[in-house]
Amino acid sequence: MAKEITIALTGNPNSGKTTVFNNLTGGRQHVGNWPGVTVEKKEGTCRYQDYTINVVDLPGVYSLTAHSLDEVVARNFIVEGKPNLVVQIIDASNLERNLYLTIQLLELGANLVLALNMSDVAESRGHQIDIKQLSSLLGLPVVRMVASRNDGTKELLKEVVRAAEGQAEGRRFRVHYGAEVEEEIAKLEDLISKDEELRRKYSPRWLAIKLLEEDEDVIRAIKGHG
Amino acid sequence: MDNSVMPLAMVRPGEQVTLVAVNAGRGLTRRLADMGLYPGVSVRVVQSHPGPFLLQLGASKLALGHGIAHKILVKAM
Amino acid sequence: MDREEILRAKDESLAHLRTIYGDDAETVLAERRYGFISGLLKETLSKPAVEKLTTSDKIDKILLHRWLGIPIFLALLYGVFQFTFTLSAPLMDWINAGFGWLGEQALAIGGWGGSLLGDGIIGGVGTVLAFIPPIFLLFMALAVLEDCGYLARAAFIMDRLMHRVGLHGRSFVPMMLGFGCNVPAVMATRTIENPKDRLTTILINPFMTCGGRLPIYILFAAAFFAAYQALVVFSFYAIGIVIAITMAFVFRKWLLRGPSGHFVMELPPYRLPTIKGTLIHTWERGRVFLIRAGTIIFAVVVLIWLLNYTGALEPIGRAFAPIFSPAGFGQWQAAVALTFGFLAKEVVIGSFGTLFGVEQEALGTTIGAQLGWTPLIAYAFMAFCLLYVPCIATIAMIKRETASWKWPLFAMGYTTVLAWIVATLIYQIGRLFAG
Repeated sequence: MAKEITIALTGNPNSGKTTVFNNLTGGRQHVGNWPGVTVEKKEGTCRYQDYTINVVDLPGVYSLTAHSLDEVVARNFIVEGKPNLVVQIIDASNLERNLYLTIQLLELGANLVLALNMSDVAESRGHQIDIKQLSSLLGLPVVRMVASRNDGTKELLKEVVRAAEGQAEGRRFRVHYGAEVEEEIAKLEDLISKDEELRRKYSPRWLAIKLLEEDEDVIRAIKGHG
Repeated sequence: MDNSVMPLAMVRPGEQVTLVAVNAGRGLTRRLADMGLYPGVSVRVVQSHPGPFLLQLGASKLALGHGIAHKILVKAM
Repeated sequence: MDREEILRAKDESLAHLRTIYGDDAETVLAERRYGFISGLLKETLSKPAVEKLTTSDKIDKILLHRWLGIPIFLALLYGVFQFTFTLSAPLMDWINAGFGWLGEQALAIGGWGGSLLGDGIIGGVGTVLAFIPPIFLLFMALAVLEDCGYLARAAFIMDRLMHRVGLHGRSFVPMMLGFGCNVPAVMATRTIENPKDRLTTILINPFMTCGGRLPIYILFAAAFFAAYQALVVFSFYAIGIVIAITMAFVFRKWLLRGPSGHFVMELPPYRLPTIKGTLIHTWERGRVFLIRAGTIIFAVVVLIWLLNYTGALEPIGRAFAPIFSPAGFGQWQAAVALTFGFLAKEVVIGSFGTLFGVEQEALGTTIGAQLGWTPLIAYAFMAFCLLYVPCIATIAMIKRETASWKWPLFAMGYTTVLAWIVATLIYQIGRLFAG
């Protein structure tokens, strides 16, 4: 009997996300709209082993602030749509900037798998990445990928299934923001945890961090209730 | 006297500089940081005036429109 | 209230951190994140200190050249159109022949059924379907430009010009997409953060000649300007751009004043699009056209046939015709085509097809003969089609993107008025020269 999971694809613009999506879903995709907004929503399906995988293509974003509609759509889906997994497509040549998004995804509480795409380009530029070490330090599965040649798709699916079944490496890192900042985060986390509704919906730490960033969307969500 | 700090707008094509600060509103500062432009990074100017500015930041190329290069402070490497 | 307490605590924390760091907490957080990443990469990444010059860089030296940039862009655009027309011409002939034959079979059935089928449906819809080749090829060319990374360069090149009229380069991408279809182009404006920039871009988008108007140009350009057809069609694309930019200036100066947003954009490395990716991309856009052909155009064409058959069409046309006399095309058939063309631009050709009941090749010359059109009138007519009223799908999209009826209605109004003025000017001034 087929098991069904939903994964969300995210990543910087120009990271090859669309190619990965096409590799996974081929012709079995359809375009609609995210409810309430006119941002295109692309979904498709993929079969692997005895799984039916629904792939949702989130808009390409550099970050998860509340600045643009794309970012809000992406993070709302992760928080409310609760996909089983989030796969971040990373441009291996621009690791630094792409990891900025990775941190935010982890703080959001996403169950994350990383795909280091365009690895061939990175290597030809003289970039050498120790994938094992990266994976171990982040506590996340990392797959090497060259989507333009459909390299790495199978490996990605393998890791996706592993992560969905809960077999992925346990430890997840977290950024330490310095003693003073962490202290304020802890204070806010404390207050947030007392609120049943908030605690159930969001990761308290993420909410605390967003408040310190004065994230408009989060502030509005908090004001909206109670 | 420190290595003179100047606006990115005054840097000539081909020069490599280090970003010192961004003198702009929150929105723009955040946006630049999201794209990888924050204090400490090194960039190379590929095209300058009359603009838009074209920067090489690591492996990525960024275009900065009118007026933005004036708000970014850099120093020579 | 719990929530208020949280927000108050946030303010306290922020004030506290500001005194310690002299900066917004947000800045400190960003710094720490990048610091963490930096430490992480020290252990996992090794790369050369200075990135070497890549093929993309070398190509950009030419394509983004200070002076060569814009001419190269225009040349590329022209090349795209040439490619589209040359390749599609034989395909269109083939499709037309097929529908022509089908039409004859249908008419042979006789009676109103035969007429409905032959003149109405096949004449109307078939005429439009004949344009599948150029439209799909155009979509494919745009998909290739987008996927290979050139569209970002176009935005870069046009930024200076955009800035002069109060927009910026990011507004140019939706404008380019508008050449295919205005509906996804309006959707693409969501990447523009500044609301006034975005609204302006949406309002001028209809002037970027969409695929739906292409049949009109091809038909009349071939019939009236034979040798110069590619140039004539290209001229409308150029006029569209000029008027779009002019109106952007007008809007930003008087209607939607304010500072414009910041232009920060990444230029991805050039890459060869995959065949599969291009086909999928082309199909995504092209299928919208086919769906419209199957639904709106089909329905309208049947409606027109019905009104024509029952004799109700001509009075409608005659009622509107006088409006267009100063522009040279004050005939009831033209009025009908334009009135129904409001629903979908392809219907303009479809209506003519239904009314005159001939296949596409002869349609242009038939119209010319029956309505007494000169090349000047044809040009004025095409200019009117270029500018007036966005199609109903675009109107609906504008309404969604701006969340009100005010702007779509305004768009409908001002484009039609502008169209009338320009067409009339072309005709009247042209007459002075032609004598």
